[in-house]
Amino acid sequence: MMNWFANLPNFSAYGTPVYFIYLLIAILPLGIGIYFGKRLSWYEALVSFVFIFFMFDGQDWQQAISLIVYIIYQTCLVMWYVHYRQQNNNSLVFYCTTFLSLLPIIIVKFTPAMVGHNSLLGFLGISYLTFRAAGTIIETRDGAVKDINWWKFIRFMAFMPTITSGPIDRYRRFSKDYRKVPSREKYLKMLEKAVMYLFIGFIYKFIIDYFFAQQWLPYVEQQAMSHAPHLSWWVVAVAYVYSGDLYFDFAGYSLFAVAISYIMGVETPMNFNKPFLSKNIKEFWNRWHMTLSFWFRDYIFMRFVFMATKKHWFKNRNVLSSLAYMINMVVMGFWHGVTWYYILYGFLHGAALCTNDWWLRYKRKHFKNLKSTKLTKFIAGFITFNFVVFSFLIFCGFLNTLWFNPSAMK
Amino acid sequence: MTNKKKLWSIFGPVIVAGVLTLVLFALPWGNHHSQEVEQKAAVSLSATVFKNRSLKAQALGSKKENYIPFFGSSELNRMDRYHPSVMAERYHNYKPFLFGSRGTQSLPQLFNMAMIPQQMHNKKAVYIISPQWFVRQGVMVNAFKYYNGSYANLMWLAQANPKSPYDRYTARRLIKLLGDDGTVTQDAAKIAAGKPLTGWDRFNINMRIKFLSHEDDLFSGLFLNDNYGKRIKPKVHLLPQQLNYADLSATAIKEHNYNSNNNRFGILNGFYNSTVKPDLRKTRNSQRHFNYTKSPEYGDLEVVLNQFKKTNSNVIFMITPVNARWEKYTGMSMPMYYRTVDKIKMQLRSQGFNHIVDYSHKGGQNGFMQDTIHIGWAGWVDFDRKVSPFIEKKQPQPHYHMNKAFLSKEWQDLDPTADNLNQFKVDHNLR
Repeated sequence: MMNWFANLPNFSAYGTPVYFIYLLIAILPLGIGIYFGKRLSWYEALVSFVFIFFMFDGQDWQQAISLIVYIIYQTCLVMWYVHYRQQNNNSLVFYCTTFLSLLPIIIVKFTPAMVGHNSLLGFLGISYLTFRAAGTIIETRDGAVKDINWWKFIRFMAFMPTITSGPIDRYRRFSKDYRKVPSREKYLKMLEKAVMYLFIGFIYKFIIDYFFAQQWLPYVEQQAMSHAPHLSWWVVAVAYVYSGDLYFDFAGYSLFAVAISYIMGVETPMNFNKPFLSKNIKEFWNRWHMTLSFWFRDYIFMRFVFMATKKHWFKNRNVLSSLAYMINMVVMGFWHGVTWYYILYGFLHGAALCTNDWWLRYKRKHFKNLKSTKLTKFIAGFITFNFVVFSFLIFCGFLNTLWFNPSAMK
Repeated sequence: MTNKKKLWSIFGPVIVAGVLTLVLFALPWGNHHSQEVEQKAAVSLSATVFKNRSLKAQALGSKKENYIPFFGSSELNRMDRYHPSVMAERYHNYKPFLFGSRGTQSLPQLFNMAMIPQQMHNKKAVYIISPQWFVRQGVMVNAFKYYNGSYANLMWLAQANPKSPYDRYTARRLIKLLGDDGTVTQDAAKIAAGKPLTGWDRFNINMRIKFLSHEDDLFSGLFLNDNYGKRIKPKVHLLPQQLNYADLSATAIKEHNYNSNNNRFGILNGFYNSTVKPDLRKTRNSQRHFNYTKSPEYGDLEVVLNQFKKTNSNVIFMITPVNARWEKYTGMSMPMYYRTVDKIKMQLRSQGFNHIVDYSHKGGQNGFMQDTIHIGWAGWVDFDRKVSPFIEKKQPQPHYHMNKAFLSKEWQDLDPTADNLNQFKVDHNLR
């Protein structure tokens, strides 16, 4: 049985142009249904199952089992907490439930650092599903989620277009879309956007990123490695080329996920908004991987600030916000994985957010008459962009290979 | 706007674009390339030329231009002024069409040749064999995939005969190297099992070949690198007008000594600085365990030879040397190298492939090598001296007699001592 399963072809989400032909044909009936005011729930479940099946079969069959066990686990946990929350609201129970919800990802992220190999619990997309599950528990505690049952929750968790890499939706928003069918006028507007996003995504992922990922990155990495373990100017090239690759790959992917969601009548939130045009690092995080940074903003940064304010932990507001930034970003670093470069990346971004706040205060005090001109905007954008590129060089782990593990590339 | 109009304004452009794309690839747009483009393609050494058909088919099929295929690997990229393409332009009436880069060993070359059997029919060809190909695991999967494409695979499948042991062997190798690759490997599995392809399979293959050939006609001539303009043409006038091999060889040696004076191996200075010097200490004695005597590559070579027989090509083979000073330093066993070459030569000779230029003992000759394993300078001069008469003068019809024992695991794994080789000859009634 497992042998048969392991020998099936595997189709990762949005991997090739041909994938879109299969996918679009499969969801065409859903689109026609919504156009005529009806959601074909059973057909949708079937299509989702088939496509998710082909993402995780073949070589990845162990991941498929992990995925199923994980979803059952989270569903039980959330259903139990929803049930509990109807009568009680004990903080300790809430913290324990949240911790249990985070436990799988904590194990998965710490295993490689502790044992040296990947955890068997892991599967592609576990981080994104964790955000959805933990977010639902938090929303339940806030009283924002009431109307939920196991089927609705699973549908939210395993929403096919976004299952492996986001964008990260919230249950409250998602269920609102799902309860009703968009009006024909609205749906036409969504379709129009979907077509545009798909084609921008094609340009990003299959054309521009082809050059970054297939042509340029291997070349500059190889050049830089020929000087290993020493630094060379090629490392600078790696930083810029990797940043381009990361953006066009991920933004392209996100556009696909949003477009397919739209066709299925769900307005999954956007993930990117021209991030490299940001004038400061705070703006950058409002434009880069937005669903992730908003999740962290709402559920870590804000929660911490509220709690600290309520309990009067700090006298100085600036100290409070700086600490909140640091916690927020370092946790995000850990979330990417327990390696020195992810953690340093989080730390750098936390420090950059603090520096940004400090600079704004300093400017207000000492350069009251400084006007915002094209030049100042350009300088601000230039500094922000280059800082981000530098942080991505840390993030991509190339330096780890260059300094500590040069044989891995040869 | 009514909803119908809105729907059309959303999907109309997509549908029109889709139809136009289909039309673009379904229509034959003419496949003629200009002479300049062919000239570039012949020395570009690019994977695009290697994996596609229209450029090489036009060049090698041309009655006007006398293009000769040179199959090889990375040595073809050593473009000094004595490189065969420069020499041919100055002194000879033919133009080499080069097929080869690092990793284009026998099996990739077979798929390359399978696209142009008519063009190779009754023609001459040059085949350069590097003993370095014959490593234990054979051609590397990544290298194979880089120089292999569905166009060549489909064309090979369209001609494959499930009754031929050569084609069954090739099908098995293809599956092994590609892993799961949809239609191609499914069809190859049928050939490997000795079953013919169905009518539907053939229809599907021919459909896809048609689309790929149109894509090839449209795009292969674009974006060719300009080795010709940058590395071949500027060197032609550096050669004297009169061809005198002794003089050329003398200047080549002088030039070699001048350009490789920063190291004791006689390696080109730039190559030495960038590639050899950084790891010099680590490389000492690092090749002691190298062994080319047993390899699936021998079987891969056999299917190439069979292809030459099919097209009745008259082929001259060259077996490459290694830099003797370098191998002494790295500790590679030269007796092992010579035994490898004996095995290769027996496979060639006993089947009637008698034009062999064996350079395996030339790696210590002054000025012969450009770097560690590639010939250059005086090496290229001597190569031209041996190969150009073969191409320019009329040769007797070749008589090849294939023996499928060379496809066997027994041959691939045979340790080529003189006794073992003789025993193999006796066992399989070889000449």
